[in-house]
Order: sequence, then C-alpha cells, then structure tokens
Amino acid sequence: MSRIKKIGLSILVVFSAIQFMQPVRNKSVGLSATDISKVLNIPDSVQAILGNACFDCHSNNTNYPWYVNIQPMGWLMTKHIRQGKAALNFSEFGSYSARRRQSKLKSIADQISDGDMPLSSYIWMHKKAKLTNDEKGLIINWVQRSKDILSIKKLKE
Amino acid sequence: MIVSVIAFSACNNSSNKSAETQSAKTDSGTTAQTKSAVPANTEATVSIKEIVTAYLQLKNAFTKDDTNDAAAAGSSLEAAFKTFDKTGLTANQKKTFEDVEDDAGEHAEHIGKSGGNIAHQREHFEMLSKDMYDLVKAFGAGQVLYKDFCPMYNNNKGAFWISETKEIKNPYLGKAMPTCGTMKEELK
Repeated sequence: MSRIKKIGLSILVVFSAIQFMQPVRNKSVGLSATDISKVLNIPDSVQAILGNACFDCHSNNTNYPWYVNIQPMGWLMTKHIRQGKAALNFSEFGSYSARRRQSKLKSIADQISDGDMPLSSYIWMHKKAKLTNDEKGLIINWVQRSKDILSIKKLKE
Repeated sequence: MIVSVIAFSACNNSSNKSAETQSAKTDSGTTAQTKSAVPANTEATVSIKEIVTAYLQLKNAFTKDDTNDAAAAGSSLEAAFKTFDKTGLTANQKKTFEDVEDDAGEHAEHIGKSGGNIAHQREHFEMLSKDMYDLVKAFGAGQVLYKDFCPMYNNNKGAFWISETKEIKNPYLGKAMPTCGTMKEELK
C-alpha cells in the first residue's frame, strides 16, 4: 500500500510542478497588416464561423478555453496552434503569393467538405467549432467566390 | 531560349555519335566541341528534369491507386525542389521558379506525409499539377509532355494533369476509370 501511496504522491508532485510551466500565449494586439480581411471581403456570417471554428488554431489570436491553464492541456493546445498556423494562418494570408492564396482557399473548401477540419478531436472539446451543413455550405461558397475574385484581380494586374 | 534548350537536348542523343566521331578525328575539333558545349551546359542547369521525373512518378502511382508509392514520390518531388540548383537562373527565372516552388513544394511535402489517405493526396495533386504546368511552360521539360483533362473528377468539376504518354491513364480516378480523360495540349 505504501508503494501505491508513493507512486500517487510522486504523480501529484510532478503534476503540481508542471503547472508552473505555462506555455506562451498566442495573442496579438489588433489585426495584422497581412490579415485575410485586408485582402478579401468576409461577410459577417462567414466571419462568425471562422472565429468560432478556425481562428483559434489558424490565426495569431487564440480564444483560450479555461482548461489551458491546466497542464498538459495547455501544451497540447500550443502544439495544435503551432501546427495549425504552419499549415494556414489567416493573420498572414496577405503575405502568401497569389498562387498560394488559391491553394490555401481550395484546401479550406476541400478539408471542410471532406469533414477533416475542424479536427474531430478539437470539436470534442470545443462544441462551438462543430459546423452544421449550412455553415459548411456558407464557408465553401465564400471560398469559391473569393477564389474567383482573386483570379480576376490577378488577370487585371 | 527555352526553345533552344529543348532543341539542344532533343537533338543531343542523335548528334552525340557524330560529335564523338568528329572530336575523335582532330584535336582542334575537340576544342571546338568543348567550347560550343559550354553555353549549352550552363543552360542545362536550368533543367527541371528531376522535378518532372518525380512528378511523373507520383502521377503514375496515382494511376495505380498506390498511396504509399505516391507518398514516396511526393517526398522525392519535395527533395527535387529543395536540391534544385538556382544559380544558373536569371532574376526573372528565379522569381518564376520560386513562385512555383513555394506552393508546389508544400503540396509535395503534404502528399509525402499523407500516405494512407489517397483522396487527400489527390486534392493536393490537382493543385500541384497546375504548378507543374506553369513550371514546364516556363522552363521546358526536355521531353514531350501532354496536358490531359479528366472532366469527372471532383463532382464533375474536372481537373488536369501532366503526362509523358499519349495514352490516357487517369491519376484522379485510378483503376476505377483508367481511360477517362482527353489530351488537351502537347507540351514540347
């Protein structure tokens, strides 16, 4: 019994110790000059969906849930954000080349219609990120319009 | 200039023999040959052959529905972009190349990492094919290629790909619809 107590105690010690190791927050003040909203018109309905379901991992501003204060949850979130931003960062969309903007937009539509994004593991913890079929349709239509607008712009250049 | 590169590499095989016999004849002939070969060599560094080869390998893996081969070819394509020597490029060529590389390299990497999910790999292959088309148009492939179109892929939105064979082998629908598609353009 005392062995189990010892193990229990050491787990508690480690758990308490890691609480002091809080990861740096993904927060920035104001919209960056390269934000997607500076390049593309985003209707409020679409903006709301993106804000609820996408921006936490795909922008420079995360709306942190309470449990990230508990480690290792915060670390996991940090990892999600790092990987998410590497693949697509809405705050830096304006810095992508015309070619990459098209690719990223197409990937957004593909991922959403395939049901691969938002990640099911993420939805499980963040119910607000779960998209209804109507919401998916709104995003996909907006993406298609945006792709057309960007390619027309490019032709005019 | 691109035309001359293609013309040179196209004639290369047939003219090699006569060049060898010529240079074997006289010493001065050899010097002349080497001299004339210099500019051709510097242009040959613009060859995107390795990139094209890796792309075609990838395309052929998709025609066989082979997700693991596709992943391997995706990784070789990513490597081919990374190791491509840009030193011989003019400023304009470099810009064109890097614009494509920036996007295509990412698709190749992604395909390499997405073994097991061929549908997702193909989504990136579609975007990659557009990049490859622009790259081949800008630099020439050093071989005859064909731009093929499959009207059925992606809920009848359609998509194209680049092939080395005249015969249609569909990389998007694979074994389900191997001959679906038409040749749209011959890229010389």
